[in-house]
Amino acid sequence: MKHLVYLICGIVVTVIFFILSCTDGFNIYEMMFFNQGYNDKMYSLDMYPVIAAITIAVAWGGAAIYYYAINSVKFDRWYHWLAVMGAVAVLAPVICYIYNDTVFASNGLMYVGESIKFEMQTVLFAALLYIVASFSMRWWSSNCRHTPLPQ
Amino acid sequence: MRLFLFAIGGTGSRVLKSLLMLSAAGVRPLDENGKPVKDLEIVPVIIDPHKANEDLKRTEALLNDYRDIRRKLYGNEPNAEGFFANRIVTLREIMSNTSVTLSDSFIFNLGAVENAKFREFIGFDTMNEANQALTSLLFANYQLENKMNIGFVGSPNIGSVALNEIKDSNEFKAFSNIFRQGDRIFFISSIFGGTGAAGFPIMVKNIRQAANLEGIENRDALSRAPIGGLTVLPYFTLEGNKQDQRIATSDFIVKTQSALYYYKNTLTGANDSNVNSIYYLGDQVRSKPYLYDPGEHGQRNNAHLIELIGALAPIDFAGVPDSKLTDPDGYPLPTTAYEYALAKDDLSLNFLSLGHHTRRLIYEPMSKFHLLFLFLTTGFKNMIGQGFTEDAPKIKSDFLTSQFYRTLVDHFLLGYAQWLTEMNDNMRSVALFKPGEIDMAHAIEGVGVRKRLLGHFKVDNDVFKAEMNKLSKNNPAYSDRTVEFKLMDLFNKAAHNIFMERYENIN
Repeated sequence: MKHLVYLICGIVVTVIFFILSCTDGFNIYEMMFFNQGYNDKMYSLDMYPVIAAITIAVAWGGAAIYYYAINSVKFDRWYHWLAVMGAVAVLAPVICYIYNDTVFASNGLMYVGESIKFEMQTVLFAALLYIVASFSMRWWSSNCRHTPLPQ
Repeated sequence: MRLFLFAIGGTGSRVLKSLLMLSAAGVRPLDENGKPVKDLEIVPVIIDPHKANEDLKRTEALLNDYRDIRRKLYGNEPNAEGFFANRIVTLREIMSNTSVTLSDSFIFNLGAVENAKFREFIGFDTMNEANQALTSLLFANYQLENKMNIGFVGSPNIGSVALNEIKDSNEFKAFSNIFRQGDRIFFISSIFGGTGAAGFPIMVKNIRQAANLEGIENRDALSRAPIGGLTVLPYFTLEGNKQDQRIATSDFIVKTQSALYYYKNTLTGANDSNVNSIYYLGDQVRSKPYLYDPGEHGQRNNAHLIELIGALAPIDFAGVPDSKLTDPDGYPLPTTAYEYALAKDDLSLNFLSLGHHTRRLIYEPMSKFHLLFLFLTTGFKNMIGQGFTEDAPKIKSDFLTSQFYRTLVDHFLLGYAQWLTEMNDNMRSVALFKPGEIDMAHAIEGVGVRKRLLGHFKVDNDVFKAEMNKLSKNNPAYSDRTVEFKLMDLFNKAAHNIFMERYENIN
C-alpha cells in the first residue's frame, strides 16, 4: 500500500511538471532561463509540451530500464543507479536539443547558444524526474529495490 | 520421540561427527511414508574415558556449536526444516528432575574409571594370592598398569570390567529418569577396539536388566525399549610400531570374530530381542594407515567413509515404524540385522557411487549445505547492504561479527571443511565435492549443471543472491523471525530452487 502511494505521488509530481511546463503564465522552463525571442518562439511553436514529454519519457524510461530490464545483482549498487541517472541527464537534453534544432531549422531559425543554455535546465529536470521515477517504481524490482537507498 | 544415542569410544565420536554434518545439512530420519519423523530429539551421549582423545574433543566442540546454532535458528522447536533441522540436546537440557546433579555436557562422566590405573580400579593389590594369580591370567601386565584416562587401549576385557560402573553413574540415572515409552536407544561402537566393543553389550545388558538395578526409574519402559546398534567392523589400519604392540592391526579380525560370537550369544542371536536392529558396517579396503597412538598423544584419526555411512544407521533406525521393533504388547522383537553396500565398488566415491536410497536421502541436503559453505565463505560478506539483506529483518554488517555467524563460519564450517578434506584424503576417498573448488557450478563431483539453449546454466553467488532477493521480496514470513533464521531459510529455499532448475538430476 505504502509503495502504491509512492507511485501515485510520483505520477502526480510528473503530471504537475508537465502542466507547469506548458502553461503561459507560469512556465517552469522560463523560471530558470528566459530569453524573450527564444522563449516566445518556443511557446508559439508548441515546443514546451514536447520537450517536457521527452524529458519525462527519458527519465521514467531510464528508471524503468534500470529497475526492471537491468534488474541485476551485478548492478544493484548506488553508483550503478547514479550512472543511469548520468545517462538520463545526458540523453534527455541531447534529444531535446536535436528536436529544438530540427523545429527551429524547419522554420528558418537558428538559436544554437540559447538552445544549449536552455537544455542545461533539461539536465536538471531529467535528473530530478529520474529520482522521482526511481522512488515511484523501485519497490517492485526484485534485485534493485533497495537502490539507491534501502527501503 | 527421543533417540538416545550412545557413542562409545573413538569410532563412536567420529560417527557422531558425521551424523552432525548430515544433520547440519538437513538430513532427517524419514518414516515409512517418506515424511520426516515428528517431534524428534536426538540426545547424544559420548562414552569414552579417554577425554584427551582428539576425535572426542573435535566432536564435542562441534556438538556444542551445532546446539548453539540450532537454538538461535529454531529455539526449542523440535520440528524444523532446512539446515540444522534435527534437534540435538544434552541429558541435562531435557531433564526435569533436579535431584540428579549433571553437567550440561554431551560426555558421560566416567570419573571413577578415568582417574585410575586398571589394577587400582579392580583393587588388585588388596586381592588374595589366588585371585591375583587368576587376574594375572585374565589380564596382561600392561593392561593392569594401564591408566584408563587414555581409554582401554584396544582391550575389551578391561572395558567390560571398568564400564560396568556406568549403571551407578548420575548420567545413567538421569537417562533412566528421562526415558519414556516411545523413546528409542541407539549405540554406535566399533567391535575391534576396547571401549566400544565392551561398552555396547554392557550398556544393553544394564538397560534390559533395568528391573534389577537400584535407584532407576522407568524400569519397565527401559527394559522394553527399542534398541538399535551400529557395530563397526575393521576399516582402518595403523602404522606398525615394533616397540609397542598393545594395539595391532593384525589383531583386529581376531578380536572382531570373538566379539561377534559373543554378540551372537548374548545380543543379536536369531531369537534374541536384546537388540532390535543391528547395523553391521565394515570395509575390506582399509583406510590409509593412521598414526599408531594407543592414546597418549591424543589419537586423532581422519574422517572416513565408514563413519559417514555409519551415521545413516541411527537416522534409519529412528524412522523404522514401531511395529517392526516391538510386538503388539510392547515387547521388543528379535534382532533384525542390516548391512550396507555401495552401488559401485569405487575407490574414489562420489554421489553416483552410492545406492539410490542413500542418494535420495543425502544428495540434495549435502549439496545444498556445501553450497551454503561456499556462499558464506566466498560471497555473502559483499552482499550486505543490498537486496535481501535490506528486507526486514535487516542483516547489517555487525551480523558478520555476531556470535552466531562466528560460530557457524569460523567453527562449524571450518570443521565441515576439515571433515570433507579428511574423507577425501582417506581410502576409500570420499570425493562428494571437489576439494578447494569454489566454482559452484563445478563443485559437486560427478554432477554438472544442465544445458540450456546457449551453453550451460550458471551457478554462482550472484545467482543465489538473485534467487534470495526474489524469495525475500514482500515476504511476511520473516517479519517476526531472527536474521539468522531468515538468512539460513532463504538460502535453503533458494538452493532448492536452483538445485532443481540448474543441476543435473541424479536421483
